[in-house]
Amino acid sequence: MDRVNSRAGRIFVHVVLFLFGVYSLAPFFWTTLQSFKTFKDAFSRVPVFIFQPTWKNYEDVWIRSLPDAGSSVGYMILLAAVIITCLMLFARYIPFNSSWIYIGGLIGYGVLLWAIPQSVYMAKYYNYFINTIIVTVFTILISISIGCLAGYALARYAGMAAVVILISALAFRALPRLAFVLPYFWIGSLTNLLDTHILVIIALVAVNQPFTIWMLRSFFMEVPKDLEESAMVDGANRLTSFLHVIVPVAWPGIISTALFTLLLAYNEFLLVRVLTQTNWTLPVAISRYTGAEDPAQLTLAAAASVSATIPIIVVILFFQKHLVKGLAAGAVKG
Amino acid sequence: MKRPTFFAFAAPSIVIMLALMVVPLLMALWLGMQYMTFRNITEPEFVGLRNFIEVLDDPRFWRSFNFTALYTAIVVPSWVVIGFIVALFLDQVSGLLRGIYLSIFLLPFIIVPVIGTIMFKQLWEPSGLLTWIYQELTGTRFRVNETSVKTLIIVFGIWYVTPFTIVVYFAGLQTLPMEMIEAASIDGASRLQKIRHIVIPYVSSLTIFILLFSIMDSYRVFDSVFVLSELNPQFKADTVMTYTFLTAMQVQRLGKANAMAILTVIGIMVVLVPFLYLMYKEQIAER
Repeated sequence: MDRVNSRAGRIFVHVVLFLFGVYSLAPFFWTTLQSFKTFKDAFSRVPVFIFQPTWKNYEDVWIRSLPDAGSSVGYMILLAAVIITCLMLFARYIPFNSSWIYIGGLIGYGVLLWAIPQSVYMAKYYNYFINTIIVTVFTILISISIGCLAGYALARYAGMAAVVILISALAFRALPRLAFVLPYFWIGSLTNLLDTHILVIIALVAVNQPFTIWMLRSFFMEVPKDLEESAMVDGANRLTSFLHVIVPVAWPGIISTALFTLLLAYNEFLLVRVLTQTNWTLPVAISRYTGAEDPAQLTLAAAASVSATIPIIVVILFFQKHLVKGLAAGAVKG
Repeated sequence: MKRPTFFAFAAPSIVIMLALMVVPLLMALWLGMQYMTFRNITEPEFVGLRNFIEVLDDPRFWRSFNFTALYTAIVVPSWVVIGFIVALFLDQVSGLLRGIYLSIFLLPFIIVPVIGTIMFKQLWEPSGLLTWIYQELTGTRFRVNETSVKTLIIVFGIWYVTPFTIVVYFAGLQTLPMEMIEAASIDGASRLQKIRHIVIPYVSSLTIFILLFSIMDSYRVFDSVFVLSELNPQFKADTVMTYTFLTAMQVQRLGKANAMAILTVIGIMVVLVPFLYLMYKEQIAER
């Protein structure tokens, strides 16, 4: 659309956008505020906006007891995390193969996550956090690798079988999770797989597969056919030409899809709630804080919610373009 | 691509979908015909269609169905209207400011729905910000009862999915050809007329897409209702999905819950089949 040019009009546009921003952020703002309050401030009838902030709620959520050398261990861990993050952020300026730096950085994070509970006695919340990471990472890896193969095949094959698969995938995407989850629960309780990561990961891969193949297909459709044809003339077979020629070209689209898979796995509530009893991921663990009648949980729930949101916000800040692209692609191409 | 290569590439995905979506669905149908609780989970008892009849006779099921219908009827038009209007406003700014606004608006949609619900709930706790504002403005106490919980569920539903429609409409507006707008400007059309006669018809295919997906999504809403209806001890603010869940995990009537899930699947299919048929024809035409 053409722009509003009058001064009053411009001001009106900005006022509306600002107010909508306030509306979007209000719950985050209030919860973050609550999470830094002491019990007494959080329960005052008239909301308190100026108060002495405290880290106590976050400590209670994450840590069970501090070792004697408490703060120095904490600073060491923080320092290591900052160094790894900086290395990965500036990888392209380091005269060394950047993919190795990324892989090394990810391994470094893994070691760090393993090392923390060795030195500090962490609360249960940390276990849930680790569970979430395990489930999310494996769901992405499995989902994207088999989804890429299928998405590529669906983008290139013109036969009826492809149409049938695409349409039935669409139908499955529209069905409620509960229709699949209850049978999984039944199988799980017969085979003693309930409460394991394996069952949750397999279930997540399955319920997200329709979405994954549709989205990846739309990205592979954009890759020109001549690319792999010329590679195949040079003697490469389908699979090698796919891996070496197509995947690098379609990489941004694959990242977009992986991002959505990440969000779906990280956000999943119902499936994890039914299929686990103690090995929860974060959404289920946090919902337990609010179910309790104890009002003291209020500030803890706030701190737990903010803690679980920060990783997602970091991911979004890094990949905002991919996210918007993915949302738009899913919609505009239907 | 040849047929064998196609199946070789697609095999893992097809196997997963067959084994973990088609089979469970058939299994749900079979489980729906059993009398099964947590006690006799290994030896279910076959009762035929009795579970289905029980569900259709259950007043609580119909109450949850009615609330689901009400939720859909309010939330879906709100998503479309608010999303479209905000996208129009967002289209008016550019550059860095646009990116910042877009990130902020997207946030409710990106965060974990359960956590979003908990954050939203914090505003309405007895010591919450909105509780206080509400009480100051109306002079009455904010009470947690069936009506207020249902209202909160609906307001939250609007809050957290609107970003999706904003982004879809916003992406659509970026492809709007400027010539159409310019031609209308030369003819002296006002802004509202341009929106009414050019923009709305231009994005109509997006509107249909949004309507279909949002009707299906609002029909199977679960997370937010599950968390918010806990506020109400009598669990009167159930949707079909939360009622099915409670039947399975709390009342422990697994057979009945499966029957309910199958009925929901049938209900969704009725809405879905015309759309699937359209997609099918479109796919055939592409080839």
